[in-house]
Amino acid sequence: MFEGGVEVRVLVVDDSPVDRRVVEGLLKRSGSMFQVIAVDSGKRAMEVLGLTEGKEAEQPTVYDPKIDIILTDYCMPEMTGYDLLKAVKEQSCRKPIPVIIMSSENEPQRISRCRAIGAEDYLLKPLQTNDVLRLRDYVRPTALSPKTGTKRKIAIEMMAENSGSERRPCLAGLAVA
Amino acid sequence: MSLMALREQLNMLLNSMYIEGLLDQQFQQLQMLQDASSPGFVAEVITLFCEDAERILTELTKLVDQAVVDFQKVDAYVHQLKGSSSSVGAQNVKLACIQFRQFCEENNKVGCLNALNVVKHHYYLLRNKFDTMLQLEQRIQAYDSKQQN
Repeated sequence: MFEGGVEVRVLVVDDSPVDRRVVEGLLKRSGSMFQVIAVDSGKRAMEVLGLTEGKEAEQPTVYDPKIDIILTDYCMPEMTGYDLLKAVKEQSCRKPIPVIIMSSENEPQRISRCRAIGAEDYLLKPLQTNDVLRLRDYVRPTALSPKTGTKRKIAIEMMAENSGSERRPCLAGLAVA
Repeated sequence: MSLMALREQLNMLLNSMYIEGLLDQQFQQLQMLQDASSPGFVAEVITLFCEDAERILTELTKLVDQAVVDFQKVDAYVHQLKGSSSSVGAQNVKLACIQFRQFCEENNKVGCLNALNVVKHHYYLLRNKFDTMLQLEQRIQAYDSKQQN
């Protein structure tokens, strides 16, 4: 039981049921700070976030997707992780949501491409416990409920982008294409 | 068979799977994620993997059997299988998928046909061992439940 802390609401987006379950398991095992919502496509992610693809006029008056961080696979059919990243970042003027890309491919061009449009990090699959713990560094929850039950606004400084483990490709330090 | 004998059998099975290259250390990561709050985690992930793998192998069999092979589609499926096998620690399946993708890149139909057979071989070998493993775990859990009662 996570006491006296805050919950981080993670939206996990992956078309692989195996990977969704493994990432969910990793997040939950890393501490009850993570509340996980897992969906199988970019389109479903957009629905959860309250975003309509490419239609600004239909945005809700109050944009409050209730997600603190998005962890999305890169390679997905129809709407890729890159497409989702782009859509989310286009909305970020209202409420910035960190987006972390996951991929089994360690491709510098792909990493640069994601970084160029605002991805906070790029993690190699299969994810490890250290990767998941890093997610906390990117979160800026604005209205979270501590497990003790008292609602309060919390501002947490976003850590510098240069955190990361040695073996994972870190976006910092890579030349942007 | 006694509880100790069952546990020993399970350990021997797992060790052999690592030695033979069926599993790599990613599987240990999965085991570490299993705890009292998620007691069936490994079994759940294995089941998901097997369902997903068999779905993909069925699609691949159809695609590679075509007169004109859509190598992009084939590659997409192999990529998926490579990903899920990597996530569960299914090493030989993963390596076979990597080889398979090479043949896709070369638009090599014969290579793809052979590679598919290799993937199937490794997958069904692994599945049989997983089945045995899960049966042993169930028997151990049944023993443990009996002892607690």
